[in-house]
Amino acid sequence: MAEDKPTTRRSKGLALDDIDLRIIEVLKRDGRAQSTVIGEELGLTGNLVANRIRAMDAAGLMRVVALADFRVHGYRLLARIRLQVSGRAPLEVAQELAEREHVLSVHITSGRYPVSCLYAFHAAREMIEAARDVSAGIAGVEDVDVELLNTVYRYNTAVGPLAA
Amino acid sequence: MIDQFPQTDDLDRQIAEALADDARLSFRKIAADLGVTEGTVRGRVKRLQNAGLLKLVPIVDIARGMDATNAGQHMMFVTVKCASGKLDAVREGLLALPQVRALYDANAALRLIAVCVLPSLDEAAAVTNQVLALDGIREAETELVLQTVKYNAAIGPIATVEDLRGLDSVDEG
Repeated sequence: MAEDKPTTRRSKGLALDDIDLRIIEVLKRDGRAQSTVIGEELGLTGNLVANRIRAMDAAGLMRVVALADFRVHGYRLLARIRLQVSGRAPLEVAQELAEREHVLSVHITSGRYPVSCLYAFHAAREMIEAARDVSAGIAGVEDVDVELLNTVYRYNTAVGPLAA
Repeated sequence: MIDQFPQTDDLDRQIAEALADDARLSFRKIAADLGVTEGTVRGRVKRLQNAGLLKLVPIVDIARGMDATNAGQHMMFVTVKCASGKLDAVREGLLALPQVRALYDANAALRLIAVCVLPSLDEAAAVTNQVLALDGIREAETELVLQTVKYNAAIGPIATVEDLRGLDSVDEG
């Protein structure tokens, strides 16, 4: 289609434009939808759609990912573990925590517990050991708060810190 | 309840890992890499998707925002303790907020943890006000995410309570 031409290149280097957002809307329904099928729905060529998806991916703006439940990876329990820190920069504590294999994510927050992580376990015993080990084994950790996640009511992450 | 999950095996895990960074990868390539047929890969993905254990979805970078304004988004954790008997009402109140992207209960359902994604700090304030106005909240804590040190989009608490209910009926059949 001739009118595709001027819009093939995005106006600003790192922003999503209207075409990108429309493509993302279709991908939300089916992350594996073929470019030609997306194009037919939006009145764009398959090539343009494929290029846009590739460009968004390359710029780190958008990625179509597979989110797998922790149980698919053999884990049985998931806990949020938060740490109070004193006498040490929370970032250093967070980085030390992030090196641990079963720590899925680590954030620095504005709250009482500046370091907050999601930790996965194969058994309850592992969770108890990890909580003990985090408080005894990481310098600067003042207090540990463990919350075992029970039920998931919603999980709808359309955004994420892709660069982390 | 947690143990009622359908059994998944090594092949399921390997397929999930193969798709983790690029869910649009061809099934033919994954099949060749894993030494199974394309139909097996397709069937496994379908089964995991139907069980709510695997979602193939676009993720937009939080630092770059969701629209052409290119403004970043903020993440905020909201943790609430509910008055006795009010858990269901508070949960429904939180689920009614579109900014709540994920919601769990923790510690034997005495706490609710909401993950909010917000376009501005003004909106963070608005959500905080809406949450604290809900009837039945005893204590609430909001934490703005200042920095992400590690993030693994590929593994998480993906299967919701509704997915699990669906499974019960499938397994009975």
